[in-house]
Amino acid sequence: MLPFVVRRFFHLIPTFLGATLLAFLISQLVPGDFVTQRALEPNVRQETIDRMRAQFGLDQPVLVQYVRWMTSLVQGDLGMSFASNQPVMNVIRRPIQNSLYLVVFATVLLWLMAIPLGVFSAVRQYTMGDQVVSAVSYFGLAIPNFFFAQVLVLSIFLFRGFTRETFGISQLVFPVAGMTSNGWEGFTRWHQFWDIMWHMIIPGFVVATGSIAGFTRVLRGQMIEYLGSDFIRTARAKGLGSRSVTYKHALRPAIIPFIAGIGALLPSLIGGAGLVEIVMAWPGITPRLLDAITRQDIYVVLGFLVISSLLLMIGNLISDLLLAVADPRIRFS
Amino acid sequence: MAANATPSNLPEGTPAVAAVSGGKTQGRIVWEQFRKHHVALIGLVVLALMYLAAAFAGFLAPYGMNEYRRTPVAAFMPPTTIHWTDPETGRLTRPFVYVYTSDRDPVTRQRVYVEDTEGPRYPIEFLVRRPERPYRILGLWQSDLRLFGVAEPARVFLWGTNSLGKDLFSRVLYGGQVSLTIGVLAVWVSLILGLTFGVIAGFYGGLIDDFFMRLIEVIDAIPGLFLLIVLATLLKDPRNPLAQLFGLQMTSAQTFLMVVMVLGFVGWGGLARTIRSLVLGLREMDYAQAAKALGASEARVMFRHLLPGTASYVMVILTLAIPGFILTEVGLSFLGLGPSELDSASWGLLLRDATARGVSIQFVPWLLIPGIPIFLAVLCWNLVGDGLRDAFDPKKRR
Repeated sequence: MLPFVVRRFFHLIPTFLGATLLAFLISQLVPGDFVTQRALEPNVRQETIDRMRAQFGLDQPVLVQYVRWMTSLVQGDLGMSFASNQPVMNVIRRPIQNSLYLVVFATVLLWLMAIPLGVFSAVRQYTMGDQVVSAVSYFGLAIPNFFFAQVLVLSIFLFRGFTRETFGISQLVFPVAGMTSNGWEGFTRWHQFWDIMWHMIIPGFVVATGSIAGFTRVLRGQMIEYLGSDFIRTARAKGLGSRSVTYKHALRPAIIPFIAGIGALLPSLIGGAGLVEIVMAWPGITPRLLDAITRQDIYVVLGFLVISSLLLMIGNLISDLLLAVADPRIRFS
Repeated sequence: MAANATPSNLPEGTPAVAAVSGGKTQGRIVWEQFRKHHVALIGLVVLALMYLAAAFAGFLAPYGMNEYRRTPVAAFMPPTTIHWTDPETGRLTRPFVYVYTSDRDPVTRQRVYVEDTEGPRYPIEFLVRRPERPYRILGLWQSDLRLFGVAEPARVFLWGTNSLGKDLFSRVLYGGQVSLTIGVLAVWVSLILGLTFGVIAGFYGGLIDDFFMRLIEVIDAIPGLFLLIVLATLLKDPRNPLAQLFGLQMTSAQTFLMVVMVLGFVGWGGLARTIRSLVLGLREMDYAQAAKALGASEARVMFRHLLPGTASYVMVILTLAIPGFILTEVGLSFLGLGPSELDSASWGLLLRDATARGVSIQFVPWLLIPGIPIFLAVLCWNLVGDGLRDAFDPKKRR
């Protein structure tokens, strides 16, 4: 097992270097830089411009800039944000954290919903319930998640009758924007946590929808295949109960591809969450990234790209390891 | 089913092998299988209708894409009520509309529109000519004939209007021209990239294979949406090197192509990987070896013998990839990074109006209508793709 982990880990390094190089090259596609925008302001002197260029290292050739950036990156320093004049890490930490809350929540929701739905559909193949699940999953696959979010926001407004009472003020059943209520800072820890969870329900559900639909369909197919196989017949023949057959014998092998899928899930969830973040005003990566791009705050943009790709690769690594734990054939190939 | 196995048009004494396939080409078999898949067939019909509607948007839409008037004000106008019955006699009559007048709600200060039922009725006219607003169909035929319309000053907005008073129904029709085509074109870009590199990687193996696989891993290592956002923003900037190559301002067609390229570039990796593994298997097949032994050049073996072997698989993957590309384009446009407002009205861009600053969706719910065609298009492409996959799969023959 250990050699596998080590090999897999070293495999990541060239990929990571390649990804950073690609990100850096793309960021250089625009000839102007952050300072160019300042230069357009009438009362900025040329010396100021030159000094800023030198300060940020923008007067150096691209290659030098890359090497500098890379050297500090290796030391864990992502550079300075031009626009807010503080380390990039400070600027991007909160948004990344917020996006991760959403993604983790969506993943939990996904597993909680997709597994029972898939098993249900497979065990009751071709019944009414199965067909309903199938139809709904087609729906979930086809609806753009930002549109779904908009529709949910609209329906929350339309069903204004369902309001909840807190502190004598009636509020909407679910919040339609943001991550925290007013005065969140003053809440107790426990209350703060629930407040975020409460804000997360709608966006988290929307982010998970597409994946729930996809997972359910694939799991159903897998389960049906295993339920028809010989070892299940053997298990039934030796008198095992149907619960044990379904969950211990059929579900276990059927679930393996999903463990492999966790890694691939992360990018789609992070990306998918992006548009929902915009609709629901969630203070995550995408809104800040768009903001940084329009301001040409290149190191912030690069910071987001680098950290998100790092997270993605770690996700892939974890799912590979889980897969190796679950399926011994992989460890030894 | 049974009829398939014993076709009546075969001469007596035809060998049993031919009878199994019925002497049909593969395309024929696949089509016959596909036809039995009713849901997929419905999907295909709906798609055909949607593409037709997009192509003939000019004819079907009562107004131009960016047509609006400042006075009388028509911003955020709800869908126009069309009256089918005569209000006095209650009998069926020619459909007609009234002129709307605008007012402010005394409490909420929201603008409200009221039908002027005292005023004259304006019947909906069919096949009207609007010489002041000509359009082109498929960029070729110019015309000014519109399917329906009403005489001024009345106006008919089937699905309401946006913040500037542009007719949403017309814009959704024109929007299809962007949203329905970008996905299909982007699939071709990623197909060409994926096929070329996939076949080369699979055929040569070794270092070349390693190089392409690592390259794909690198592109995949950055979350797709972020890569798309960055690429689209930077390439849309008029100062970028590509734009300068074309001249300072990117025209609408160039932005359109740029989005197609960006989508295709981000999406080719998965396809290349699949093709590669297929080619790895096919390379060892006898016919490939035979071609090589007969002295065929490498390119000939690759593109004449190996590539066709992947065709059925590729067709299914492509059909199932299109809805993904449509969703991505719509998402990019939703962020304002697709083709810009003036040139076109991608469905994503139309939905963007619903989350614009200062818009409360509960007062203007019709702004969400453009989401429905997106949903339909993606759903139907998925259905058609699934039907096609089953039709190609010999295990699922019916």
